[in-house]
Amino acid sequence: MHYLFRRFQRLFIVMIVVTFVTFLLVNILPGDVAYEMAGMDSSEAEVEAIREEMGLNRPVLIRYAEWVGGIFTGDWGRSFINKEDVWHAIMQRFPVSFELMILAQAIALAMAIPAGMLSAYRPNGRGDRIIGAIAFASVSMPSFMTAILLIYFFSLHLGWLPATGYEPLSEGLWANLKPMILPALSLALVEWTILMRTLRVEMISVLQENYIALARAKGMSNRRILWVHALRPSSFSMITLLGLQVARLLGGTIIIEQIFGIPGVGRLLIHAVYTRDFIVIQGCVTFFALAFVTANFLVDIAYAWLDPRVRTRGAHG
Amino acid sequence: MGETILEVTNQRTAFATGRGLLQAVDGVSFTLERGKILGVVGESGSGKSVLSRSIMRLLPGTAVTGPGSRVVLNGQDLMQMSEGELRRLRGPQMAIVFQDPMTALNPVLTIGKQISEVLTFHLKMGKRDARRKAVELLRAVGLPQPDVRVDQYPHQLSGGMRQRVAIAIAIACEPDLLIADEPTTALDVTVQAEILDLLQRMVRERNMAMVLITHDMGVVAGRCDEVAVMYAGRIVEKAPVTELFRNTAMPYTAALFASIPRVTDPPHRKLDAIEGRPPDLINPPPGCPFAPRCRFAEEACRRTVPELEGTATHQWACIKPLNREVAA
Repeated sequence: MHYLFRRFQRLFIVMIVVTFVTFLLVNILPGDVAYEMAGMDSSEAEVEAIREEMGLNRPVLIRYAEWVGGIFTGDWGRSFINKEDVWHAIMQRFPVSFELMILAQAIALAMAIPAGMLSAYRPNGRGDRIIGAIAFASVSMPSFMTAILLIYFFSLHLGWLPATGYEPLSEGLWANLKPMILPALSLALVEWTILMRTLRVEMISVLQENYIALARAKGMSNRRILWVHALRPSSFSMITLLGLQVARLLGGTIIIEQIFGIPGVGRLLIHAVYTRDFIVIQGCVTFFALAFVTANFLVDIAYAWLDPRVRTRGAHG
Repeated sequence: MGETILEVTNQRTAFATGRGLLQAVDGVSFTLERGKILGVVGESGSGKSVLSRSIMRLLPGTAVTGPGSRVVLNGQDLMQMSEGELRRLRGPQMAIVFQDPMTALNPVLTIGKQISEVLTFHLKMGKRDARRKAVELLRAVGLPQPDVRVDQYPHQLSGGMRQRVAIAIAIACEPDLLIADEPTTALDVTVQAEILDLLQRMVRERNMAMVLITHDMGVVAGRCDEVAVMYAGRIVEKAPVTELFRNTAMPYTAALFASIPRVTDPPHRKLDAIEGRPPDLINPPPGCPFAPRCRFAEEACRRTVPELEGTATHQWACIKPLNREVAA
């Protein structure tokens, strides 16, 4: 309980800092939502009238306090542009972004774990060097560039996968997954390398442990030693990274959703930035921060699964 | 004569290091019969642990095995075997108990899992049978509440209990050869005797053969049939335990005996530690490796490396053995 309380304390501070900084930033930006609402040919007086009507003339701090108060009562505000409820708008698009992120992390892990193991098994061996070279090339390319290459190759050249679009799950699993593969892969191709290198380093040291020597002395196969005996004790740093990467992925999805035309939270945010729809921006940023903290909370739970020593410590308080 | 379990002939193991080849085990030979315990005694760095791993063929990639080395287990030449063939022997025919029970068990797997995986892997036992057998083994090694402990993790057990678990793992497939590599060095003195008694009992009950590696002369005293003293990668003296104690031939062995504190000593008496340090195994000095630290060394000792000589039961590698004036 105490632990949870501390977590929430931290969450609270993070949220306040994050939302306040975005609030200020949006205010510093030239132009505001009133211009957008008034239209191109409107006079300064008309714009001013809209500002007055919407309370945009009041000091930043007061507007911020009002908005924070709303969040606590479950009111995330309404878009200035289309009057859509912000929470509703986010929730409508979030499953799409969530699927993209989960898929990206799943692909990244599926690449990182075998590759990291192979590298760690014979450090500086041929396999390790080849994997290292591939990883280096892979991480050197930003995801938006990888995305374009992937589209060129798999969509235009081979015609295997669509370049853009989104299908809801109700259209069938494959129909839903098909347009998601390339975007997820673009994100994963950056993320896997970091996971792989982290796993590699930790596993190299785990493989020196006495209990691995004992597993060998028990006549266990290399495969069993790597997957059953070495993987779990080697994956602490990797799991930590998995949580931290959520932040990078949230940023990554914004760009990737844009390239592949995926209707996720990222697109909502970009659109809101263009139109200075700051209440939507605020909502998205707050939501991202929440998602990030939640992901890292899950990572903490994963530790307990990975390491029984953490489990007992928790049980004793 | 009993059935020969292990036959080691001229085992040489070296490691490639930045400075050159480090000869950790330098021509060790011995045989071990069923039901017998061979004590291997030596200081740190004398090559005794490398010897144990050489027998199990569990050496790191940097290790180089000498061309004339032979390890024969139950009539099978381990040097001629593939890694896969060796794997089938580790567990069912040979097993090892390591020095430090705090690090020898996997922290993320339950005790039961670590025992039963040997049974399911080697003996193709079903999961449920393996678990039942694991509980049985835990009971056999004297772990209290075996049916509770079987589901616990290593960190929930004390050092002595963990060493019992390690022994249970080692004997799970009823191996013919058990190697105990300093099994009690990391344990409390009170627990040491218990673990040694347990090992001894397991060897007798299951009719195994055991190599008991230790740096402590006191450990081998009551428990071994034969003792081999190692120095600088070689066996420098080998004899049945009583013969070795009564009729010590090698000055190094004598020095080891002298370094054991005795109850009859007056309090605060300084121990007779052996002066100097073991020789550099990359560039060993010419002649007897112990000569630089030996009180009795002469010119001749520094010229040639002495070979093992002596009787059928008692051998020593020394040109000036103690207590041997009459024979010479």
